[in-house]
This record gives sequence, structure tokens and C-alpha cells, in this order.
Amino acid sequence: MATDRERAGAKAPRQRADEKDARKRSRAKRPTLGERLRRVAAAAAEPPEETFEARPQWLASRSRRDFMLFGAGILVIAATGWWLLPERTKRRWLPTAHDRLDSLAARVGLTPEQRERQLNRVLTFDDDVAEALYSRTRAVRTYDRPDLRPLRNNYHGRTPGPEHVAGWRLNLTGLASGRAESLGLGELTSRFKRHDMNTRLVCVEGWSHVAAWGGLRFADLLAAFPPAAEARWASLRSNVSLNGRGEHEPYYVSLDLETLRHPQALLATHHAGAPLTLAHGAPLRLVVPMKLGLKNIKAITDIAYTTDEPADFWNERGYSRYDGI
Amino acid sequence: MNDRTRPLTAAKARPAPPREPVLVVRKHDLWVRVSHWGHVPLLVGLIGTGLAIYWAAPVFRHAPTPGNPRGDYLADLGIALASRFGTSSAPSLWLYERASLGPSQLASALRLHWLFAYLYMVCGAMYVLGLLRGGGWRALMPRASDPAEALAMIRFYLGVIPNALAKRPWPHPPVAGKYNALQRGAYLTMPIVGLLVVLSGWAMHHPATLPWLERAFWNYDGARVVHFVCMLILGGFMVPHILLVAADGWDTFRSMVTGWSLRLKGTRHGH
Repeated sequence: MATDRERAGAKAPRQRADEKDARKRSRAKRPTLGERLRRVAAAAAEPPEETFEARPQWLASRSRRDFMLFGAGILVIAATGWWLLPERTKRRWLPTAHDRLDSLAARVGLTPEQRERQLNRVLTFDDDVAEALYSRTRAVRTYDRPDLRPLRNNYHGRTPGPEHVAGWRLNLTGLASGRAESLGLGELTSRFKRHDMNTRLVCVEGWSHVAAWGGLRFADLLAAFPPAAEARWASLRSNVSLNGRGEHEPYYVSLDLETLRHPQALLATHHAGAPLTLAHGAPLRLVVPMKLGLKNIKAITDIAYTTDEPADFWNERGYSRYDGI
Repeated sequence: MNDRTRPLTAAKARPAPPREPVLVVRKHDLWVRVSHWGHVPLLVGLIGTGLAIYWAAPVFRHAPTPGNPRGDYLADLGIALASRFGTSSAPSLWLYERASLGPSQLASALRLHWLFAYLYMVCGAMYVLGLLRGGGWRALMPRASDPAEALAMIRFYLGVIPNALAKRPWPHPPVAGKYNALQRGAYLTMPIVGLLVVLSGWAMHHPATLPWLERAFWNYDGARVVHFVCMLILGGFMVPHILLVAADGWDTFRSMVTGWSLRLKGTRHGH
């Protein structure tokens, strides 16, 4: 207040009156809101239609050229569309003609092998976009409460029996020490701090579930047992997994170390406040909420750090490799 | 013999094309035309692969019923259509087998959906840039007169068939500009819905790395619902669009291929 008065007092009254006038004038010059809206409307107003004179022959030849291009476009798109369709869809839609159309397409180089190559490039591109969006410092959204309905066990095979849990150990290879480590569940839970979080598990199929997880940070395991300096990847494997007929069928996923160093990448021991059930990956599973559910491998038995990208179960079956969401 | 002479006489009977220049109207920018037609295969591809993805985990569901253990409304629709048109295969899959790549094709459908989605974004951007480049966007801007004009158009459309049957004259309401109010509304809605379908798609594709976008649709399932509704609007738009262009005639169709029209203002919907 005092400073205001001082500043005002420092100026001559005449000068003050001039400033006031100037301000008033500039305010008068400045358009009102209504005036501004009118100007915007005038700029957006549709102008009268634009006409030009043309000789009929010129119009006919132009029209012919454009429709030939249009027709050529339809043919190219129809051929490409047919080539892109999965084999099973083609067989179902045109059970009698699909063989002949396929050999016709193959004659111009549109073979199924070419298609697989091109579509896998699309997957790689999309994975690169996902990787560019990912940041280890950005937290994944957490929720106050988990979903109340039971968490779905969507594993494609059967659930392994309880017998493997008693003698369970986690085997680590590819470490900086050059040794192979083997850790029991007690060692993991006593040595590392437990973290809890409610995050959304998103399935590649489209359903999702906010679940309450508890476990140790993967980053803590990486700090305690550092991988070899040149390692960029981890291969996580469950040797106790079963297929749909109950036969032994290992499940394995590839994960980049950049993801595993995220503070919300957990080696979970608990779900919904209780130790993991067999259906949800007892005794230890991965929870990476920045990846699709299929990377959240259950009943992990082996972790190997590698320089090159390791094999991934669902990538071998036509799904993407990075699976960042 | 007759066969050879007939075309000649027919050609003679046709009036000779005028030699003097005619007046034509510039209608659609090249970019608008190319991307307009590009949207057709892309939307068909996106819906066909999208429904195959939707099959894996339907959003709109009710309590399980005997023929429909997942309670999927689209399976109900398939069962209804199958009993209407007759089918030998599983009726609950009737719609998925015909309108999409089919059931159990998730990996293929996802790959193709990403391909079409990236192309759709390019195509949509091209359409908007074409509207800006050619000044076509001005014809889509809403006006104060739109509600009254839209009501007049609805009244006109409702009366077309009864008046045609009664052989009564039924004049088209006057149209000031390139489009009538209903067209303007529909053509402006499409790019907006297109933007929404892209944003909700990204929200589902990257809920973890784009959490702000996921929140914009409330949550993951909110984005799925918006994505599905946008698909219905985009697909539903095609039906009246094609019917009305067919009713309007060749000149309107040609103008989206060649860019020009012979129909000068006042020659059709006369003022």
C-alpha cells in the first residue's frame, strides 16, 4: 500500500492524467468480446462457391483419368486386403476360391511369408513406440482399493500341484559374480523389504483387474545380485508350468532390465493380503503393471540375465515382444 | 447385321456434347478426396479386426445364460441373426464369423489392428490437413441458423416417401452453402469422433505409460466403452451417408473422385 502511494506520488499529476487518457484510448481501440467473436465468425464464414470455366473435353479426360486411378486404387487395396487376411479367415469366407486367389496373389509376390514378415515389422514398430513412451521414473497408476470380484486365473494350461512349493528355489544365472545363485523363499522375504501396491493387471485379451500385490522389488534383487555388465535382458522361466492336458510345459518370458528396475516391478509373494495361491503363481510371481498380463509370469523358478533378447512364449505364437502398455 | 448398326444409330441419336466451356464448381481438395476413400478400407479393416479382439473379452455383458456362458450381448445378437437367417455353425459366433476375422484369431487381429490404426491416424491427419488446405473446413462450421435448418431438413426427409407416393410436390428446403445443416453436423462430428476413437485407443493401448489419457476416459474400461461407441457411430454413419449419396446422384459421387461438380448453386436446391 505504502509503496503504491509512494510510486503514485513520484509522478506529476499532469503525467498521470496523460497515462490515464492513453489507457482509455487503448481500451477503446481494443475490440470487445462481441466484436472479437464476430471477427472469428467472419473468418470461419463459408465463402461463395469457387467456380471455373472448363471445356467439356478437358473435363471428360480429367474424369476418365481420375476414375482410372480410383479403379486402380480399389484393385490394389482389394489385393492387399486379401493378402493380409489370416489363412483361417480366408478359408472360411471363400472355401472354394481361396486357393486360386492365393496362388494369383503369390504370382505378384504377395506370399504368406511376405505377409508374416511385414506384419511382424508392424509389431516391432508398435513395440518401439511403447518403449519410447516408457520411463523408469514415471509411476504406474495405483488405486485406493482393489477390485472386489475374484482375480481370474487366465493361464492357458493347468495349475501345477502343491508338491513343487516345498522344495522351491529361485535360480539366478548371468550374474556379474559369474556364479549361479539359488535362493529359498525365506531368504528372499527376510533379506528384502516388502512393498505393497494396488495396480491394474491388463490382459492382452482386453479384460483387466485391479489387484493388491505384496512382494519384493525386482530392483532390490538386481542390486543385491547384480547381473553381468553387458546384460540387457532377463529371461524369466517357470519350470513347473503345465499345458492344457496337464503335461510339463515350461513358460518363459523376456523382459528388458530397464522395466525390471522400475520401482513398481515386484517379485510378488502375496495377493489380496495372503500368500499367493497356486492358481496365481505360488510361491513367487512377477508383477509388472507396465506390461501386459502375459509378461507377469507365475511360479518363477529361473532367472537368467542375457546380452541378447531371450525367447518369449507368446512372441513365438504371434504376439508382440515388448508388450509395454 | 442389326447388332452392328444399333450402336451407331444410338450414338447419332445422342446430342453432340457442347463445345463451349461450361462452369464447374470446385468441391473437394485432393487430400480430402484421397483420405476420404482411404477411410473406407481402413474402417472396414479396423472394425473387422476390432470385433475379433472384442471377442476375446466382451465389454458389454449380462449374467451367463445356457447358450451364452459369457453373457456377451454380441453373442445374443449373433444367436438372433442365426435363427433368422439359418446357420449350421455355432450360433453365438454367427456375428463374429461374418463381421470379423473370426473367433480365436487374437494374435492376427491385434497385428492387423495396429497396422490399420497407424494408417488411420495418417489418413485422418491427411483429411484434416486437406480441409485446412482447401478451405473446406469453413463449410463444416456450425451456424446460428443450424437448429432451424436441421429441423426443416428432418421434416423434408420424413416427407419424401409419402409425398412421392402421393405424387405431391415436395420441395427441398433452401440450402445456403455447400451443405445443409444436417450434413454440416454429421461431417463435423466425424473428425471429432475419429479423434475420440484414436485417443480412447491409445488410452487402452498404453494405460500405464499414458495414465493421464486413461484418466480422461475415467479408467481402462471407460476407454473401451468409448472406443466401442465411437466404432458404432463411425460405422453407423456410413449407412445414411451411402444411401443419401446414392439418392443425390452421380454428380455428388463423382465430385468426391474428381473434385469438381457441374451442379452450381441454385441449379438443384434452387433459392
